[in-house]
Amino acid sequence: MIKKFLFSISLKIIFLGILDALAIWSIITFIFDGYYWVGGILGLGVIIINYIFLTERSYPLRYMVPGLIFLVIMVIYPIFYTIFVSFTNYGTGHILSKKQAIEQFETQVYLPKDSVSYTFQAFKNDSGEIKIIMFSPEEEAYLCENKEIIVKVDLSDTRFLDQDKDGIIDQFNGYKKLDKIQIIQKLNELQNLRFKKDEYIIKLVSLTEFKVYGKKYQFDPSLDRLLDLENGKIYHNIEGYFISEDGERLTPGFRVNIGFKNFIRLIKSPQISVPFLRVFGWTFLWAFLSVVTTFTLGLALAMLLNDPYLKLRKIYRTLLIIPYSIPAFISCLIWRGFFNTEVGIVNRILNDFFQVIIPWLQDPIWAKVALVIVNLWLGFPYMMIISLGALQSIPPELGEVAAIDGASSWQQFKKITFPLLLISLAPLLIGSFAFNFNNFNVIYLVTQGRPAIPGAGTPAGATDILISYTYRLAFEGARGNQWGLASAVSLIIFIIIAVISAIGFRQTKALEEISKSV
Amino acid sequence: MKKFCVFFLVLVMLLGLVSIASASVPGKILIWCDETRAPVLEEVGKEFTAKYNVPVEVQEVGFGDIRSKLTTAGPAGEGADLIIGPHDWIGELIENGLLEPISLFTELRSKFVPVSLEAFTYGGKLYGLPYATEAVALFYNKDLVPEPPATFEELITIAKGLTNREKGEYGFLIQMPDPYHTFPLLSATGGYIFGENPDGTTNPLDVGLANEGAICGANLLLRLVTEGIQMPGADYQTVTGLFNEGKLAMMISGPWVIAGIKEAGVNYGITKIPSIDGQVAKPFVGVQGFMISAFSENKILTRTFLTDFVATKETMLKLYERATRPPAFLPALEEVSANPDIKGIAISAADGIPMPKIPEMASVWGSWADAIELIVNQKLGPEQALKDAVEYIKSAIQGE
Repeated sequence: MIKKFLFSISLKIIFLGILDALAIWSIITFIFDGYYWVGGILGLGVIIINYIFLTERSYPLRYMVPGLIFLVIMVIYPIFYTIFVSFTNYGTGHILSKKQAIEQFETQVYLPKDSVSYTFQAFKNDSGEIKIIMFSPEEEAYLCENKEIIVKVDLSDTRFLDQDKDGIIDQFNGYKKLDKIQIIQKLNELQNLRFKKDEYIIKLVSLTEFKVYGKKYQFDPSLDRLLDLENGKIYHNIEGYFISEDGERLTPGFRVNIGFKNFIRLIKSPQISVPFLRVFGWTFLWAFLSVVTTFTLGLALAMLLNDPYLKLRKIYRTLLIIPYSIPAFISCLIWRGFFNTEVGIVNRILNDFFQVIIPWLQDPIWAKVALVIVNLWLGFPYMMIISLGALQSIPPELGEVAAIDGASSWQQFKKITFPLLLISLAPLLIGSFAFNFNNFNVIYLVTQGRPAIPGAGTPAGATDILISYTYRLAFEGARGNQWGLASAVSLIIFIIIAVISAIGFRQTKALEEISKSV
Repeated sequence: MKKFCVFFLVLVMLLGLVSIASASVPGKILIWCDETRAPVLEEVGKEFTAKYNVPVEVQEVGFGDIRSKLTTAGPAGEGADLIIGPHDWIGELIENGLLEPISLFTELRSKFVPVSLEAFTYGGKLYGLPYATEAVALFYNKDLVPEPPATFEELITIAKGLTNREKGEYGFLIQMPDPYHTFPLLSATGGYIFGENPDGTTNPLDVGLANEGAICGANLLLRLVTEGIQMPGADYQTVTGLFNEGKLAMMISGPWVIAGIKEAGVNYGITKIPSIDGQVAKPFVGVQGFMISAFSENKILTRTFLTDFVATKETMLKLYERATRPPAFLPALEEVSANPDIKGIAISAADGIPMPKIPEMASVWGSWADAIELIVNQKLGPEQALKDAVEYIKSAIQGE
């Protein structure tokens, strides 16, 4: 017993030790890289884990920890990040942080009018230090004194040795000449060298030459502006861009906080506000129809499969679950083909038997019908499975009693089975509603929100739901990706769904109250 | 045992947190490219390593993901040194501060097809080393159409004769609602996407998709529908599927369908898109190339890799063998120009105009596709549909 106890204690300490060592190492790395937040949160997390595993009182928490960590990483963090992004201009042109953008500007150079190129030879001594001899176009030689200064030298000086007499210096003061391969291996050191020449800098441009450049921009932190050193122009920081007085804008821009601007844009822009009600209406109808149709079919099949007199039940059940096991995006694309107006199988059959051709994906109403059919195919097996489970939990005696009392089977279903089913299934139906409210895949893969609406003046198609419309706005509007705006819309959608679900759950509570009195 | 599992899980998660590796490290070239080109670059990378003792790592990234991955990973210091992609990415990537200009010596510049270098030039600087050009062209089934039409009037006559929609036979199809494939119709008579400023830069507020020429082209598209040739619901799968089954005589498509057609064993030919009203139909030209990340730690090294190892006839031919596109490197192009597929695509591309690369293009595709959809579904007249689209594009660009 004690042996086992000792074993588990030592195991615990070893693991916690490894964990803490890794954590401390990574926290130090994070803090040195400037990620104070990440380091801090990691540190806090590790302290909590240590506490949980070292105290007896928090024993039950040990089993919750993995789940909680995943919850934080995959649910809570994205939510907060979305909220954070919705208040910024994050998107095309504003990807970098301000620090990164300034760094890029400050490393930019321009070619002065009297710029010259220098060929060079690199030398290395035994301790790995590098020296450069540069040759101007006039064949004057320069030697780098240290990392910044070059001075003119006379190569006929005796310290420069040309052992093979080919006119190229091989060695001086213990420094030996590097060949091309060695230069490539030392490239990382060479490319960071910056020598001063008057107000200019000399830096490596290729494997064979250094060149004179002028520094292009200088950032002035006190006035928050960028100065063009070449022509004296001043660029002010305006909403994530450096813009000059005459309106010239420098790229790249950077991320800044823009307050409620994304939300104000959502309300003010006619492209967004005009179709909003129509899109919202269809989204609601779509989610509602999806739940009702799949649940009706699923429940009907479940009732059928639950009937003990039905033969080969297991085979039917397996077959009916197949649509659920095929990846939805494959099914969607296949259905898209089925619904093709001219060559699709649906219209071929309709044409052969009834001589009708339906413009499935070209007409707004039929496109919606097609979507509901596709989602019915995708969704009924889930409803069937949960209904089967719930049906089995209803005691068969209830039905028998009702039958003795003279209830018809329809009355039995309506008055006993269905209300009892709803108690356990209602929360799942609400979940299904919320899921279909944001069912981007089906919409995007089958119709892409199309067909377009004539004269709409907005990119919202007839079958666009809120989330697919958000996608269009954020990624097909203006100039590329607008993650800030997209986050703002998804925040609004989140609030809508939260409200609907809250109301729904309150209703199911009422249902439970009823069931208690049954 | 349970406890052990818990410990283990926690440990794995923490390791996951810790292992944020920095990808572009000094002294090693990291390349992101799609699976088609990866083997070639791996081979070239090995040569580079053998010569200079500098490791080259090739990571396969889905073609569509390379740009977005660089956008998120680049600023975090985790991006590649070198990526492969089409030239119309560069506008967005440069606006985001993710690309490094590449300077080429005049001698090397002269070895590239000029339009391919022009395609990778932004704000007067070159941002990519091109290796292949592509454009849509007229694909025709030689068994059904022995002699390809030279004008669109001829094409309509031939297509009408071969179309029997009851039997599932089609004369000519363009995939719908697709702006990219329908652009040659609009451009022939004078439609364009963005105009130019006097200094040669693109002017995003001059949208030429609803001018007289564009409307003329859209009317032609409508005529294809009303005369019973074009089916409105023809998407990519339908069009290529019918062509591969031999049930479609002609289509406008690009080099990416060649492999499928060959496999299906169709006797096909590729040629330029027929002229419209005596004017040349100009398709979009896309150029594929190599780009260096602005966050690379090995810019000079990577450029050396590009100029000394990639910009060679051998490498360019190897890349060509993996995907049939006309090479942008002249010595390689000369070598393969006898190939009829390359000839056809190259003839079509010679008339083409580079796809606009400014980030404002993002707002064009969606509403333009909407307009084409409304036209072919006959819900709105060509003039009105295109005018609505242009109005929307302009307001989206102005950031309403």
